[in-house]
Amino acid sequence: MKEIIRITFGLTLSCLVAGLLMGSVFIITDEAKKQNEQINEHRTMMALLGYDKQNPAPSDFNMHTFYRYIIQEGDVKTLGYLLPVGRGEEVGYDLVILDLEGQFVRKEKVGLTPEAAAEASERKAALREVLPPSKSFTYADSTTVACLGDKRMAYLIPGEFPGFKTFIEVMMAVDPSFEVIGLEIMEHEEDPGLGAEIEQDYFKNQFDGKSFDQVKGLKVIKEPMPEAYREYLESETSEETIPKEAVDMVRRQYQDEDIYALTGATISSQAVTAGVKNMMKKFAYRVEILNDVISHQDIPVVF
Amino acid sequence: MPATTKNSFQLVSNGILNENPIFRLALSMCPAVGISTTVMNGVLLGIAVLFVQVFSSCTIAAIKNYIHPRIRIPTYTLTIATWVTVIDLVLAAYMPTAYKEMGIFVKLIVAFAIITMRLETFACKNSVQASFWDGIGMGFGFMFGMMALGLVRELLGMGTILGYDVLGFRPLLFFVLPAAGFFCVGLMMGLFNYIELTYNRKKKGT
Amino acid sequence: MRIAPRAYLFPVLFLIAGFLLAGCGSDHRFVKKTAFQDTNAITIEFAGPVEGSWATDKSNFTVYEKPDPDIQLIIEDIALGPDKRRVTLTFKDDLNQDQPHVVTTTDIRSERRSLRPAILTVKKLYLGHLLSIFIGAMIISNFVFTKYLGLCVFFGTSQRKSTAVGMGITFTMVIVVSAMMAWFLYQFVLKPYRLDFLQIVVFIGLVSLSVQAVDTILRKVNPALFKAFGVYLVLVIANCIIIAVPLILADNEYNAFESLMLAVGAGLGFLIALFLMSSVRERLDLANVPPTFRGLPIAFVVAGLFALAFLGFSGMSIF
Repeated sequence: MKEIIRITFGLTLSCLVAGLLMGSVFIITDEAKKQNEQINEHRTMMALLGYDKQNPAPSDFNMHTFYRYIIQEGDVKTLGYLLPVGRGEEVGYDLVILDLEGQFVRKEKVGLTPEAAAEASERKAALREVLPPSKSFTYADSTTVACLGDKRMAYLIPGEFPGFKTFIEVMMAVDPSFEVIGLEIMEHEEDPGLGAEIEQDYFKNQFDGKSFDQVKGLKVIKEPMPEAYREYLESETSEETIPKEAVDMVRRQYQDEDIYALTGATISSQAVTAGVKNMMKKFAYRVEILNDVISHQDIPVVF
Repeated sequence: MPATTKNSFQLVSNGILNENPIFRLALSMCPAVGISTTVMNGVLLGIAVLFVQVFSSCTIAAIKNYIHPRIRIPTYTLTIATWVTVIDLVLAAYMPTAYKEMGIFVKLIVAFAIITMRLETFACKNSVQASFWDGIGMGFGFMFGMMALGLVRELLGMGTILGYDVLGFRPLLFFVLPAAGFFCVGLMMGLFNYIELTYNRKKKGT
Repeated sequence: MRIAPRAYLFPVLFLIAGFLLAGCGSDHRFVKKTAFQDTNAITIEFAGPVEGSWATDKSNFTVYEKPDPDIQLIIEDIALGPDKRRVTLTFKDDLNQDQPHVVTTTDIRSERRSLRPAILTVKKLYLGHLLSIFIGAMIISNFVFTKYLGLCVFFGTSQRKSTAVGMGITFTMVIVVSAMMAWFLYQFVLKPYRLDFLQIVVFIGLVSLSVQAVDTILRKVNPALFKAFGVYLVLVIANCIIIAVPLILADNEYNAFESLMLAVGAGLGFLIALFLMSSVRERLDLANVPPTFRGLPIAFVVAGLFALAFLGFSGMSIF
């Protein structure tokens, strides 16, 4: 009997010590993890817009993020946008509620600062204060608007869609006329050497410069990519200089073409193309409705 | 097995050569096949395993007199699981890209037979210091094994080493595929066997 | 070794019937069934005839993908079947059938009566989803040949067919038990209290517990079986797969049925891999292998060939 007690005591003690150790490491590393994620995202966004260490952003450059929620009460669903608005010198947030047809319902002031709004838990608490308990809400997505002074320069849209293996997460930059500025693959679990090539310039740069109508009808061509096109796509980040006339000629020639698939990774290529198409269509639809509401209701958004 | 009489250098070299976990002891082959696609992956996983092995060995060696023989295995498991969780959290926070590459294998370190076996055969009978060096040896042995595999696969498959383009083209993309991991490990084991056989033959001959 | 098949037949049939019924049920008493058709159509089957004027009016139906309620899909055409019970909605663009779609209608008009409006969910057959997880775990991403887990035990026990089959069956039993317990603990203890980082410790503890549990149960219930397989139970703990399955089901947030499918698929996949390997190795023992390659090296090369063969399954999606 005594032995069993000793055994149990020893085991419990070890479990407690282990638990304490793991718990403390978890608390320390969680902060670092979140910070690293945010820094990574910020750096990707700047790179998409063309700013990096050699080419820093101008002084009137600004980024604002708005968030979309789906609010449900019983069977009725409405959309809620958390928009950053200017209140005098400071930036606060307003909740703008639209019905499913895009008609404005009402606007509420929400107690959030831009730093707090980046945390999902803070947004949830702020929304809970403003909405009655009968309404439940779920987070849908977020969009970052990059502005130079007063003018909108680009929208940065994160998206996730199924790929060949599991999911592919991307970040896409589009300009106000919904032309693609750039595409960056954030996360994927595709095969190295095959599907993982979607990260390479010669694949993802194919989306650059495609207009909204082109993206809507984008297809995948299962043919090898012409060498000149490939050089042009990789030239955007390589150190080789290609004469400007050659670059322009190649760009004009291939601007209207569909996406060339990767060798041995047709499904991954198709998944990315379909994902980008869907993202673009849905985003354009929603932003047009939002812009309509903002102008009709005179909401003082900062972007 | 009685307490060892080797000094620290011998312990470390034992782990790397004589009792190399992957090629001689034939343990922990799952990551050897799956993750050794690049040298960098091998290095990172090797560091993780080194960390877990060293800390677990030292912990068990430190408390070996208080472990009741009936709950030996659960205690080893608990220790290993704790240290694996710690390294998992640390890697996820400070090296997220590397962590994503290794995927589930960091968490799977807890199931590596090599660590449990080492605790059973060595750490519970030796001092903290000896266990420390043994852990280092085993960890480095594992890391070098992974690096050797990674070198072959990365060079032949992608033409790069540690990301630097060495060959400029891709000889046999096949080597990056998982199936090639099996081939490479098999061939390397054969190589080690061959070296041992010829060495023994020479020793017998002289 | 014979397990009475008839004893297991009834529960299995019951389960299958449950799945099928679960997929067929709908949320409105008057609507019998909804389904995807072709690449761009949805069919709705009513329990009785509906009025033609109501059914063919596009404004009576709104359709959207479940996560995007504000984006309504454009209905191009509506056709009413000859028995007036079947309505087919055809859309302009192809539907993304991997997402569940929601169809809302106004008050259903049938035989001069007006019934409540309906909110229906259209999705691919749930059984199909479960089977695709099962086949995925068993063949398409076979844990040994495609995910390279469980190799130590794999090479250790694949020398003879009898040991291979024994190990495979024991393993399947343990993995089902431990996966279900892991799912239970994850959903009801770890997740609500944000103790995710304790996953590894908890799961390996569960594995030891399941091995212990299967050991005790087998001893009492079927001692003959225990004598045949008991020795493999200890080896199961050092198997990477047994930890990988709970980790995967926690990562993907599977529900109970999906976890069960994953576990059974993983176990059976391991059994298949072991069986194939042992068949080859028995013959290899009699073949003329060079001395440096005898034993493990040639086994690895053979495993590589199998892995290549299984590569052919990748990308397969049946449902």
